[in-house]
Amino acid sequence: MPSEALLFLFAVIMAAVLLFTMVFFTIMFSDLECDYINPIDLCNKLNQFVLPEMMAHAFLAFIFLINGSWIALTINAPLVAYNVNKVTSNKHMYDATEIFRTLGQHKKECFAKLGFYLISFFYYLYRMIVALINES
Amino acid sequence: MANLPPTQYNRPPPSPNFRPMQNTEPNQPIQRGPSPYRPQPPGPGGASPNQRPVTDPRQQISPLGRPYTPPGPPNSQTRPPPPGVSPSPPLPASFRPQPPPSNVPPSGAAPVNFSQGIASQIRPPMSPGYRPVQIQPSTPGHLPSYPVQQTSGSGYQVAQSNSASPPPTESPVSPTGNRATSPPVGTHKSKRLYPKQINEAYTETNTYQTFTPAAASNITGQQPLHPQHQQPQYFTPAGDQNYTSMAPSVPSPYNQQYTQPQQSPMTALTNQFSNMGVAGPSQAHLISVNLIGMPPNVKDLDDPPPTINLPPNTSVTPSDKANCDPSYKRSTLNAIPATSSLLSKSRLPLGLIITPYRSLKEGDDPVPVITDTVIARCRRCRTYINPFVTFAEGGQKWRCNMCFLLNDVPPQFDWDIQTNQQVDRWKRAELNHGVVEFVAPTEYMVRPPQPPVYLFVIDVSYPAVQSGAVATAARTILESLDRIPNEENRTKIGFITVDTSLHFYSLNSSASAPQMLVVSDLEDVFLPQPDDLLVNLTESRSVVESLLRSLGDMFKDTQIVGNALGSALLAGFKLISPIGGKIVVLQSSLPNINPGALKPREDPKALGTPKESVLLQSADPFYKKFAVDCSRSQVCVDMFLLGSQYSDVATLGCCPRYTGGQTYFYPAFNAGRSEDALKFAHEFAEFLASPVALEAVMRVRASKGIRMTAFHGNFFVRQTDLLALPNVSRDHSYTIEVGIEENITTPTVCFQTALLHTTCFGERRIRVLTLALPVTNSISEVFTSADQIAITTLLANKAVERSLSSKLEDARDALTNKMIDILGVYKSALTGSQSGASPQLQICDNLKLLPLLSLGLLKHVGLRTSSQIPTDLRSYAMCLLTTMPSQLLIPYLHPRFYSLHNLSQEAGTYGSEGTIMPESLNLSSEKLERHGAYLLEDGQNIFIWIGRQVSPQLCIDLLDVRSYEEIRAGKVSLPQLDNAFSQRVNAIIGKTREMRRGVYYPHLYIVKEDGDPSLRLWFLSHIIEDRTDTVKSYHQWLAHLKDKVNSGSF
Repeated sequence: MPSEALLFLFAVIMAAVLLFTMVFFTIMFSDLECDYINPIDLCNKLNQFVLPEMMAHAFLAFIFLINGSWIALTINAPLVAYNVNKVTSNKHMYDATEIFRTLGQHKKECFAKLGFYLISFFYYLYRMIVALINES
Repeated sequence: MANLPPTQYNRPPPSPNFRPMQNTEPNQPIQRGPSPYRPQPPGPGGASPNQRPVTDPRQQISPLGRPYTPPGPPNSQTRPPPPGVSPSPPLPASFRPQPPPSNVPPSGAAPVNFSQGIASQIRPPMSPGYRPVQIQPSTPGHLPSYPVQQTSGSGYQVAQSNSASPPPTESPVSPTGNRATSPPVGTHKSKRLYPKQINEAYTETNTYQTFTPAAASNITGQQPLHPQHQQPQYFTPAGDQNYTSMAPSVPSPYNQQYTQPQQSPMTALTNQFSNMGVAGPSQAHLISVNLIGMPPNVKDLDDPPPTINLPPNTSVTPSDKANCDPSYKRSTLNAIPATSSLLSKSRLPLGLIITPYRSLKEGDDPVPVITDTVIARCRRCRTYINPFVTFAEGGQKWRCNMCFLLNDVPPQFDWDIQTNQQVDRWKRAELNHGVVEFVAPTEYMVRPPQPPVYLFVIDVSYPAVQSGAVATAARTILESLDRIPNEENRTKIGFITVDTSLHFYSLNSSASAPQMLVVSDLEDVFLPQPDDLLVNLTESRSVVESLLRSLGDMFKDTQIVGNALGSALLAGFKLISPIGGKIVVLQSSLPNINPGALKPREDPKALGTPKESVLLQSADPFYKKFAVDCSRSQVCVDMFLLGSQYSDVATLGCCPRYTGGQTYFYPAFNAGRSEDALKFAHEFAEFLASPVALEAVMRVRASKGIRMTAFHGNFFVRQTDLLALPNVSRDHSYTIEVGIEENITTPTVCFQTALLHTTCFGERRIRVLTLALPVTNSISEVFTSADQIAITTLLANKAVERSLSSKLEDARDALTNKMIDILGVYKSALTGSQSGASPQLQICDNLKLLPLLSLGLLKHVGLRTSSQIPTDLRSYAMCLLTTMPSQLLIPYLHPRFYSLHNLSQEAGTYGSEGTIMPESLNLSSEKLERHGAYLLEDGQNIFIWIGRQVSPQLCIDLLDVRSYEEIRAGKVSLPQLDNAFSQRVNAIIGKTREMRRGVYYPHLYIVKEDGDPSLRLWFLSHIIEDRTDTVKSYHQWLAHLKDKVNSGSF
């Protein structure tokens, strides 16, 4: 199996994982809105996943970089930059005291990321298939 | 007393500006009723911003009938800051941090404190690192003497005069005990300032609306009022039939004739009265007032909010207390728009200002308590039964007024269990009062009601001991032990002192002296022993007293400068989290040991720039996280910050912010100044004595279609609409923004706030505040029902939130834009002129002070453009802005201003409603005369401004000095002299200190006209109608608003 197909197979799996993380976030937020969970528990739970999610995404972008998949890298670069900016300004963690005020914002961001991962998932799938066809 | 000798405070004879002191007010605004002296509004161009109304006819009529010539060239002399030079804000010199004495040894070389061995640095395996230390209780006579006592002889002796004006009974030696021991002489019958009988008041207020000729033409007739004959409600649809027939067999509680509720003659009378009031024709009329060219009438700040015109028979009982008093809960709009588009069209903010646990002053009615634990609630929406429900099916069911579900009336509702007798349903308090308190049964408890718990975390590092904070605090606690809420003898108390190590005190009741346990392991905090650290106050009273007596001396030779507040808080949390309660932090230095170490981050270069808001935000997430943990365990943190240097109020204030506590800040505290010590001791003692509500949650329910969208105040939002308050502090106000989600089809809506709490005497109670408001489709009714005081409170909260989340500049812009929007909408929708330039700026009569109040907010120390306000002061001002009830907030934004040199005859004397206050003046320096003396107070500080050419007699009478030159400016206590003038001024000051809610005890500053510039500028920054360097004067502000309104489209 050639390296490009492998690369995009890996990317597909990563995108699926990220996709599920976002679904999980969205579900948790709507739980909060319905008062099924209190904001302290919610933030403790979600904050465990914030950094791993960002690192997974950054790692994916890094893999694209070393493999020279420039298009895939270009797609991912803005999100990486956005995440880095958030971490450096120390705004990446969910704050239990502010969560109700910023809930709408967080949900919007989650939906945007969900959409992005979904599109990139299909893009990686397409690239993987193309790579496999080219090889055979 | 009424005939005090008229005192003459004239300037010395050679002065040309002789002005006879007259007891009638020469410049009493003649606003009420038509008067030949009413100033004509100036021409269409508007008044020039700095125009001094010397042409004002009413000032020219001297009381003696002689024409009165204003002294001197008016502008140049009497206006202290020349218009160009700006009083840029204010800092008294004392606010600048003083460097600490330089002989402080480095903290590494921590000397042994308390003459004992070095704290064991290593934890022994069995007995962890603490070291029992016997504290020698100092002899009772050997109290740590601190300055309050020393200076007591001079300043604070209560002059026991037989005058009727009661001197403030502040005894210096026991600043705390005065309430318990010495009731004020000739007690002020403090008038209930806030909740006036709305209906009665309005019969009068509406008669003196100021009509400008132009505005009069704009009166648009409003829809006729509903006939306001409040018939007591009968049961519908069957009318008043005898319901005994419906339940004949059982001894039912309903075998009572449901007829018209018995009205006592008194209620009938008040009801009639209110009918008369509401039916007065003027209320629903839209009265436009032109703002340009008219000085604002500051007396209208005391007006009650617009009447709530409920349709007749909304309430099931004819009680006039069926609707919640505005001092507990007030809405920004007393008529709710039916649709959200109408609300957004009006641009008025919709919100509730809730002060559920407000203090009761003398003359206030206590909240009725329902003790029989029959709590009728709606099955679906959980609304408590209230005066606005309707009964159906012969009184066996009640229809919820929020969701309109039919609920069963509980069987015991009409039955008195104690006497086994029928009771009259219509007498039940929950059907008669908008504010009631239910005693909650066990279903409302997750555990037995907790006792009140007070854990004091006291900073004993070198700066704290040096400033006298430790000794003053210890003495205040000692003297307040009797006043701490302890009705059931269950109150628990504990102490932790902290420098670079933690000191716990074992207060076993059987021990003769407290035992000190030192823990120096700060990384992994542990409690040195499981019990006796938090003890029952009654049982261990003698040990606690002996500890407090020695606490002041114990650390007096300390040289340790570090402070580990973070560890102390964690230890305190461990100690009291099983019960919950209050952690009272007395902090004098910046904590510098992890966890929770803070850096002095104030950067003078960042002040006044967009970077400033970073300094107003929390620096360390530790305190926020700690507060969230506290909130879960029902622990409340109150911060007393006494630092002489940068204290990082922004960060440390996070703990009270999310736990329902309060931050108190004493900049440059030094107990050596008796005024500082007195202020702190008074406020701290009041704080300790005030009853608290424990382990509380608060929820606001509203009719269908209405949702609470945002919450402001000190609490933690636990669910979308549930506020968690580990402690409810007295007189804390909470502001809730309200949104309209669906069109409202009902004629009224209802807001019900329920505060489930444990009282400090161990009873679980629910305080229910019910407010019913009419619904309207007309924009003019929305405007005429708007409450300018509540709107200002809401805008202040939003502005603080905005300046913390983005920038101060944004908050100010948002406020300005809000004002432009409101005025613009009013102009386009409610006045004749649709668009284009208009020389007038109109607003309805009930909102006419909104521009002034918003200007006060823009110029407030919390929001003002300035590069000289230390962040600590700003942060503290913001804390106050978000927690103060309206009654305290309005004077804080728009200080009260009185002239003293020409007091009217009765001002300062004792009348039927307590001390009579002088007329308040407009906050404009054109009121300042060179030979005058003025008093200005904003609830936090009192200033007495002394003009340069003040009469020597006034100096002698007021300050006991011979001339202006000898007056000492700055923080003083006013002497109590044996003359009528001094007694009257002291009575006025005493009244101002007493009449506000809250624990605050304002400092008194004497400001000389040519004295200390910073103090002078600080005073002048309160004169908000004047121009300062960056912010407009009132007239310029109006002109700016008018231009924007004319150029915009709404």
